Amino acid sequence: MQGLEEVVREEWGRLVALLLSQFRRLDLVEDALGDAVESASRTWPVDGAPDNPAAWLMTAARRRVLDRLRTEEVARRKLPLVRTDVVRHQEGARTMADTGSLVEDDVLRLVLMCAHPALAPESASALSLRLVLGVPTADIARLFLVPEPTMAARITRAKKRIVGAGIPFAVPDASVLPDRIDVVAQTAYLAFTAGYSPGTGPDLLRAAASGEAIRLVRVVLGLRPDEPALVALLALMLLQHSRRDAREHDGRLVLLADQDRSRWHHDEVAESTRLLAAPCLAGPITPLTASYVLQARIAAEHATAPSAADTRWDRIVGLYDLLLQVAPSPSARLARAVAVAEDRGAAAGLDALEGLEIPDSHRPAAVRAELLSRSGDVDAARAAYDQAIAACRNDVERAFLEERRAEL
Amino acid sequence: MKYLVLLIGDGAEKPWTEQTEDEQGASMAKFGDFDRACTEHDGVELLAGEALSGPRDATVMRRTSGHVELTDGPYAEVIEGMGGFYLMEAPDLDVVVELLQLLPPYDIQIHPTVDVTL
Repeated sequence: MQGLEEVVREEWGRLVALLLSQFRRLDLVEDALGDAVESASRTWPVDGAPDNPAAWLMTAARRRVLDRLRTEEVARRKLPLVRTDVVRHQEGARTMADTGSLVEDDVLRLVLMCAHPALAPESASALSLRLVLGVPTADIARLFLVPEPTMAARITRAKKRIVGAGIPFAVPDASVLPDRIDVVAQTAYLAFTAGYSPGTGPDLLRAAASGEAIRLVRVVLGLRPDEPALVALLALMLLQHSRRDAREHDGRLVLLADQDRSRWHHDEVAESTRLLAAPCLAGPITPLTASYVLQARIAAEHATAPSAADTRWDRIVGLYDLLLQVAPSPSARLARAVAVAEDRGAAAGLDALEGLEIPDSHRPAAVRAELLSRSGDVDAARAAYDQAIAACRNDVERAFLEERRAEL
Repeated sequence: MKYLVLLIGDGAEKPWTEQTEDEQGASMAKFGDFDRACTEHDGVELLAGEALSGPRDATVMRRTSGHVELTDGPYAEVIEGMGGFYLMEAPDLDVVVELLQLLPPYDIQIHPTVDVTL
């Protein structure tokens, strides 16, 4: 027997998509499905789970929506519907007798609606986790380090905006689909990186929640297996995620060089390597995809090095050079400077850091401090640590910097 | 859905008065293309569309305690550069964005209307 939790986890997005395509009421489907799950949690343990749990949930949820619609009809309220291309496509599909792909198209419609460029990126991320994967709002709030009511309000606002602005539940033309898939990728990656932005205490890293972002990409890849942006992003995320168990020790961050490599998930590294060799990445790709590929290749260099000392830093510097051509950013320049220091020494690293600033970030100063300390310039290192400590807004990282400064 | 589309600024387009005659012709042709594409698109209809005269011709009207006050110029700087508008019926935001790409690259605000029953 399949457990309720597992059914919900596997089927949530498909059920939301089906309900949405049938009723077009974004304000009702999530509650209706939630009620259906709640009702299942009471009746299944007593009556036993139904033969087709997903169909049971769908029937129960549909009944809830119909109840609500009946109440509204009495009240004669006119409520806004989600715009959709479903009718048009179903008419086309009828003549082609191709009903098999319709359900999958509905999930794709749902993904594209949630990750729409007219939504704020964080809202799109949260909404995707909620509607496509059924991640509880409390978990999404924890992932983005905001209180649960704040996240609930953000999700509600995003749903209202979808209906109000006319963001459609639709699959766009092939001509704009690659751009839209890029937005889906960015949306998933934002959720992923949120889990690795350091919080405090038990929320230092939220790797499990980051894993949900990987699941989001897998869902979309299940529908469109050869989307270059998603293939490259999955490789990148798996490589970063493979280190999750080694990144934290006793509530503290462990730097890459000091991590216990036997605790990395080598099966995920192997999958990434296969993904990076995918034929779809050999063809024309968007700059975003290229930047994912290069970041993944950099991560793969680390993941496949037998030890920190055996890292091929010269190759990593070369990959950063390419990355800076495709997607120049201060954080990529910073990472390149670190690689240069490892490859050619602290002085070369300091040269590469020259003039680099990232607003509201302590990282350039922290790296400069580390490199100055390596080159023996203790006074300058101390000043750079002071600067980094003053700019650092995370308790765990600040404690780490203070410790390094004291060791000078 | 019905959308009010405000062409609120030149954006990446060279200001009209600085354009050569050829450039102005090319801009005008884009409006023609947009018009035709709207006509041909399923579920799209241009209900109204006008170019606006310069901001110095605009008047802001306010009424406080029955007294009418008129001020010369547009209401806010943000709409000072507003050059025109469309009112259009379209199935959804994606269709509007797709069609508006035929226009010169102005900054545009796309604002849905609501049905108000009197």
